[in-house]
Amino acid sequence: MLQDDDDANSSSETDSIDQNPNPNPTTSIDQSLDAIEGQLTSISLHSIPPIPQIISALPSDSHSQLQQATVAQNLEYIDTLPSDSHSQVEQVVESPGEVDMERGVVDNSVSRGQGVLWRNNSDVDVDVEGQGSPSSSGYAGGKGTSSSSSGISGSGIEEISGDDEVDRVEVVNRSASFGASVDSEWLPGKRHVNEDDASVSWRKRKKHFFILSHSGKPIYSRYGDEHRLAGFSATLQAIISFVENGGDRVKLVRAGKHQVVFLVKGPIYLVCISCTEEPHESLSEQLELLYGQMILILTKSINRCFEKNAKFDMTPLLGGTDAVFSSLIHSFSWNPATFLHAYSCLPLAYATRQAAGAILQDVAESGVLFAILMCKHKVISLVGAQKASLHPDDMLLLANFVMSSESFRTSESFSPICLPRYNPMAFLYTYVYYLDADTYLMLLTANPDAFHRLKDWRIRIEMVLLKSNVLNEAQRSMVDGGMHVEDLPVNPSPLSGSLSSHLGQPRPPLDSTDGCKTLLGGPAGLWHFIYRSIYLDQYVSSEFSSPVNTPKQQKRLFRAYQKLYTSMHDRELGPHKTQFRRDNNYVLLCWVTQDFELYAAFDPLADKVCFLL
Amino acid sequence: MATTARNNLSAKLVLLGDMGAGKSSLVLRFVKGQFLDFQESTIGAAFFSQTLAVNDATVKFEIWDTAGQERYHSLAPMYYRGAAAAIIVYDIASIDSFARAKKWVEELQKQGNPNMVTALAGNKADLEEKRKVTADEARVYAEENGLFFMETSAKTAANVNEIFYEIARRLPRAQPSQNPAGMVLVDRPAVGSQSSACCS
Ligand SMILES: Nc1nc2c(ncn2[C@@H]2O[C@H](COP(=O)(O)OP(=O)(O)O)[C@@H](O)[C@H]2O)c(=O)[nH]1
Ligand SMILES: [Mg+2]
Repeated sequence: MLQDDDDANSSSETDSIDQNPNPNPTTSIDQSLDAIEGQLTSISLHSIPPIPQIISALPSDSHSQLQQATVAQNLEYIDTLPSDSHSQVEQVVESPGEVDMERGVVDNSVSRGQGVLWRNNSDVDVDVEGQGSPSSSGYAGGKGTSSSSSGISGSGIEEISGDDEVDRVEVVNRSASFGASVDSEWLPGKRHVNEDDASVSWRKRKKHFFILSHSGKPIYSRYGDEHRLAGFSATLQAIISFVENGGDRVKLVRAGKHQVVFLVKGPIYLVCISCTEEPHESLSEQLELLYGQMILILTKSINRCFEKNAKFDMTPLLGGTDAVFSSLIHSFSWNPATFLHAYSCLPLAYATRQAAGAILQDVAESGVLFAILMCKHKVISLVGAQKASLHPDDMLLLANFVMSSESFRTSESFSPICLPRYNPMAFLYTYVYYLDADTYLMLLTANPDAFHRLKDWRIRIEMVLLKSNVLNEAQRSMVDGGMHVEDLPVNPSPLSGSLSSHLGQPRPPLDSTDGCKTLLGGPAGLWHFIYRSIYLDQYVSSEFSSPVNTPKQQKRLFRAYQKLYTSMHDRELGPHKTQFRRDNNYVLLCWVTQDFELYAAFDPLADKVCFLL
Repeated sequence: MATTARNNLSAKLVLLGDMGAGKSSLVLRFVKGQFLDFQESTIGAAFFSQTLAVNDATVKFEIWDTAGQERYHSLAPMYYRGAAAAIIVYDIASIDSFARAKKWVEELQKQGNPNMVTALAGNKADLEEKRKVTADEARVYAEENGLFFMETSAKTAANVNEIFYEIARRLPRAQPSQNPAGMVLVDRPAVGSQSSACCS
């Protein structure tokens, strides 16, 4: 009974799901969740073949019809095919038959004059090797691998491994032979310390990150030992300063399939060399985050060290933090927060989150700057002192810092950290305590002598959390996961609230009697979605489920979303409202309004008629 | 400072020394009785407490295991300020770490609490075959500087409890006038360290 669904949702407060960690919200993400459901429903009205019985089952809800109208008006069809088609040769692009807005995602942006761009291989010292033998379909920009057959991009780039960012990088002329090692999951600490730029394996890595000083001294390298990369660092430094002396800033160099992206932050240079086909804008943002992570550890006052001594060696200052950087870089390929600039909350029952929020609120009122309770990467509750607001990027970097440093698990600690978006010049102090294997409490203060008071607070918080069963609930939510597309109502029942009622509760068994049983995933072939509330700085994403259930497919979808995000936020092209992309892997939909952004992936085999609207 | 309540003493103790010398390992051996071959490096400072019974009294150590990385050097005072005791740790297989230990001694002599009980621990004593710093050299240095010296091994537990007991034994017993009732190291205004940064 549809109307009962609505009633059930609004009547029982304790059963409803609270996604908002702030106990004093003006808007809660609960409302947003209801809205998502409405939006998904209205999308599915458009994207599924109009199955008669579904249409007839549609209640005449004016709200959802309004949304349909909006979708129809704002739709722009954007073909996935970049004009840089040589990288897409194997891509079969099904043109749905409407007007294609030619959109050279890659090349247009290059020619838009962002500093100096070298697009010809001959300008760059790149070792051009013959076409090798691509061995597998790695993750190249979420598009699957396509070996480039065009002459201009024959830079000897081959996918070596399926699962890691391993590829051949030939930036410096060296002879090479095969033998790359293959990495799998992220492990703490630096990998491949014995590599340097002369190692074949080093050059085969698909994505390198470097931090160096303006005098060319290495500070950090994702792979290999920084000190052994001194020569390479000096080369990068030479490129950057050569261009800077000409009054320009080098931001991007293309060499065949490789993009070299630069970020200059005063005396510190950050460089990414990648052949992952991620948009260079994404790579720049990743460099920004990497810089932010460094600032979180050291504050921006490190610049003063370079004023005193241009040849200052920064590596000792970062001692013991390799794991922090490597885990951040790893998150660039799985954590949507890295490109959405939003955080996600652990789904919890309203009462549970209220209990956690209330005690944190008390702490915040007692002079703590921020009180944050998290379960892995997800926020359980977050409270800031008056007027203090925590930027989602700072939260990402802080959580990464704490989670990647094993030492925080051993005992309670009190460590200086800097929140780059809050105040990049000063240290704050953070009390960190793990309440269980996944759940940790962070209390931030500007007072270096507050440890004992924060410790006392923690004891009180821990008591409250235990009493109100928050920790158990959090564990259960971790196991259950968030939203599952399969749980979305198949019959479009706009704003029925049944979506949120699944959260935090055991999932009901799949109903196989639905009208779309030929499609995997959720209704209308919906495989996955991410919903970002702009006002709340939060996002919700569905759990990965069949058929997006291998790490490889997940990474590909991640990259596809990332690309979509970038193109939707392209300043040059102005704001987009809606975008459809279709490739062999999915149909992707993105819908951006002032209040939210919705990214969704559908089964590409869904009848293409549906995209004609 | 050490604070007393009847026969119960509470004392702040800080471990200082080069990264990798074995500070965390010593604390973990003392507090939890465990040793890890791959001890993760400490970030910031970790806090532990452990109570010892010495003669007729108990001493509750509030231990700060500091990170030892250079980036925190300028922040170290926040951990040793007000400490009743310090253990300065070096690795007997590393000359550098011994040099670094001497630097910490100098700093404490300049900045620290003058009544501080300071121990010098030559750790990793089990690594006899890799030894670079002789026990005699360290003992002479310790005597000259008013420290007490022990070689320890967090791995074998040799001298670990002993060094903490010795500190507890040496702590000044009663300081009633200096320490008003129940004072624990809280709420002291920061001395210009609010905006302190790594290398200012
Ligand atoms: N053989 C040996 N190794 C030790 C001893 N103490 C610590 N280690 C090792 O030395 C490394 C650094 O120890 P850690 O406690 O992290 O040093 P910290 O940086 O001073 O805290 C770790 O791998 C420990 O396992 C010891 O007494 N003997
Ligand atoms: Mg340590």
